[in-house]
Amino acid sequence: MSFDLERILESKRARRRSLANRPVAEKLAMLDALRERACTIRQAAAGREATVLRESPPEYRGTSRKD
Amino acid sequence: MKIKEVIAAINRMQADGVIGSYAIGGAVGATFYLEPVATLDVDIFVGFKPQPGQVLVSPSPIFDYLTARGGVVEGEYIVLAGWPVQFLPPNSPLVEEALAGAVTVDVEGTPARVFTAEHLAAIALETGRAKDKARLLQFVEAGALEVKRFQAILARHSLVDRWREFERTFLQKDT
Repeated sequence: MSFDLERILESKRARRRSLANRPVAEKLAMLDALRERACTIRQAAAGREATVLRESPPEYRGTSRKD
Repeated sequence: MKIKEVIAAINRMQADGVIGSYAIGGAVGATFYLEPVATLDVDIFVGFKPQPGQVLVSPSPIFDYLTARGGVVEGEYIVLAGWPVQFLPPNSPLVEEALAGAVTVDVEGTPARVFTAEHLAAIALETGRAKDKARLLQFVEAGALEVKRFQAILARHSLVDRWREFERTFLQKDT
């Protein structure tokens, strides 16, 4: 293990390639698991929209500061 | 919670004549070609069958069929096997072409109709939201596109200028 950025990035690329090359059924099962995890996190999160399924992030509204 | 069950339910619905052609798009479609990316819903593009005497296509037959078989309607979605599924009509000539050219992929004995990688990438370019651009970049970086086929799609659907802009912004190497 090292902090060589090039090696870290290459290992990330290799990991992505390896995942992409897995059988489709296995990748779809991973989507099932990812969604379950995302739902659990959302339900646990505090906030008014914690249980709402939202594909896109909420609209960004900048606030103007009045000093 | 299983996408494979969603695909099986849609195949049955097609076999029962409720829908014509269908194809999986969005993040789930992309997962057939790329590494899996977390998503909250399944996008199914459908060739809606026009009802006699109706000009506008309606998703009612789909919702009626699926709710009778355990599906639960939640707004624009219908929840099947734990997954919110959205049925979408082809909203552009590009998506119509993608639907016509979808391929069948075997998922452990279950056939799944899915857009080609080149059509998914072109649709991402056409749609153009931040997450679509990220997906397009994934397709390019993964080498998942057959370049000639992709470029022909771009030319047919007037997306060449948009692709050049995308290349300038995201793919040009620093000199």
